[in-house]
Amino acid sequence: MSEAADLPLFPVTMVGSWPRSPALLRALKRRQAGEIPQAEFETAADAAVLEVLRVQEEAGVDVVTDGEQRRDNFYSFLAEKLEGLRLMTLAGLLEYAEDKAFFDRTLRSLDAPSFSIKSPTVVDRLRLRSPLAADGATFLRRHTDKPIKVALPGPYLLARATWVAGVSNSAYPTREALAADLVTILRDEVARLVAAGVAFVQLDEPVLTDVVFRPPVAVRSFMCAPLAAPETDPEGELSWAVELVNAVVQDAGVRTGLHLCRGNWTRNEAVLLSGSYAPLLGALEAMAVDQWVLEFATPRAGDLEVFRGHAGREIGLGVVNPRTAEVETAATIVARVREALRHFDPSRVWLNPDCGFGTFAERPVADAEVAAAKLRAMVAAAAALRSEGSQVTRSGAR
Amino acid sequence: MPELNGLDLGAMQALVQTIQADPNAAQPFNEWTARVRWHSGFKAQALVRNHTFLIDEPADLVGKDEAPNAAEYLLGAYGACLTTGFILNATKRGVRLRNLEVTLDGRIDNILTFLGLSDQGHPGYREIAATAYVDAETDDETLGEIWRETVASSPVGNSLTRSVTIREKLVRV
Repeated sequence: MSEAADLPLFPVTMVGSWPRSPALLRALKRRQAGEIPQAEFETAADAAVLEVLRVQEEAGVDVVTDGEQRRDNFYSFLAEKLEGLRLMTLAGLLEYAEDKAFFDRTLRSLDAPSFSIKSPTVVDRLRLRSPLAADGATFLRRHTDKPIKVALPGPYLLARATWVAGVSNSAYPTREALAADLVTILRDEVARLVAAGVAFVQLDEPVLTDVVFRPPVAVRSFMCAPLAAPETDPEGELSWAVELVNAVVQDAGVRTGLHLCRGNWTRNEAVLLSGSYAPLLGALEAMAVDQWVLEFATPRAGDLEVFRGHAGREIGLGVVNPRTAEVETAATIVARVREALRHFDPSRVWLNPDCGFGTFAERPVADAEVAAAKLRAMVAAAAALRSEGSQVTRSGAR
Repeated sequence: MPELNGLDLGAMQALVQTIQADPNAAQPFNEWTARVRWHSGFKAQALVRNHTFLIDEPADLVGKDEAPNAAEYLLGAYGACLTTGFILNATKRGVRLRNLEVTLDGRIDNILTFLGLSDQGHPGYREIAATAYVDAETDDETLGEIWRETVASSPVGNSLTRSVTIREKLVRV
């Protein structure tokens, strides 16, 4: 990736998503209702992607994304791309829920009915209907010279969230059996993304925080694994996640990243998960990815000190919180980066938001104006850090 | 056969016409019965017309948790009553519903009185919160009217909010 080699220090990028415009949301709903053909939706999405690209280029972002404008959320969109994966409402899945009381309590915490939340569920053997993200990457490639980053839902997230006992068994007796196919599908997609000229592929594995923080049922985010019972063996789950991620990224031939977060479905920080990276560090280090894309703008993510002596990768440092209306100043961001530089070599530090600005199309956590201001703040901070030049040293890194 | 919200409009209209012509025809719908037989522990079985259902208590209340308890059935009954009323009132107005879900949250005044551990307050519900989530092909104002009509005309809701005369007796056999 020659373009990636040309990156400046402290490259600025997004985690992935961007809030959808009202016009795009209308097109999405009409397509989901079968009122407009796919081609008409793609036309609306093309226009939206170009607008998100314009915002990033004008802000000075170094590695751009398509803002996930074609997706209803960061992983459900696979239901359109894969035969055998169906978007089912939680109402339809209730009979199969392993813990119905948990299901009800979680819906109450969201003040939502079961028919309003949909979850991609495996109902048959998976077969690729169309590329997961490569077509969108090809479109973006035609419209920018900047390096491109694409996020894909990770194999552990998918294996855990889409396999529902009672619904998926006939296609795959176990979620392990499903995971084998998911790994193949994701590996093939990474290869297509590389061929499409993508410079950076990020796997999203947000449920790993759910595994280790084992939140009380009432505050457990079910957006990613609505029907899975609470884990009884967190260590075993982490090991399995490492195995699956490594199977996907092995010999990928592209910069790879692993993104973790503690929930990005509400602006109410009190109900999102909380805890440092300490219990995840072993898994992170065992994953053969080039970059850890991590939250650090929110205090819920704990201290960077955890990485002392464990800074052997690039870090996509979360320096702005996508859920707050206040725009972080460049000075605040620079100060955060300096903390990271106590442990990470400057050549390994990237700047990004904690998570997407619009992970769920219909529940974006940011509006586009604030999000754009946050991009500009990151770019200003990166410029300030670069201008310090030789003053930037690895004071605490090993 | 014309249908709306899963209801046979012809049959509904025929029922209304019959009752309008002869209000006595509605008399059977004024009276409802149930028979409840104790099984073991806190478990019991209800017989209503040609249906049966189980009642039990959760394990932490020394039941076997094989079924909802009686107070939970009351919440379920009220939710079902609101659902039935909502469908009836929406259908009468020609409003098509795509989805309807009602949640109920009941707050017992003082459960200690049921357990004989307090004489403060009473062991009945002090408050029940009902929330209807609706996806329908109509405007907000119409939906609001349907909901208000539904709450006001709910048989179970009226039973809860007005005092019901209970005639009880004990028979030794």
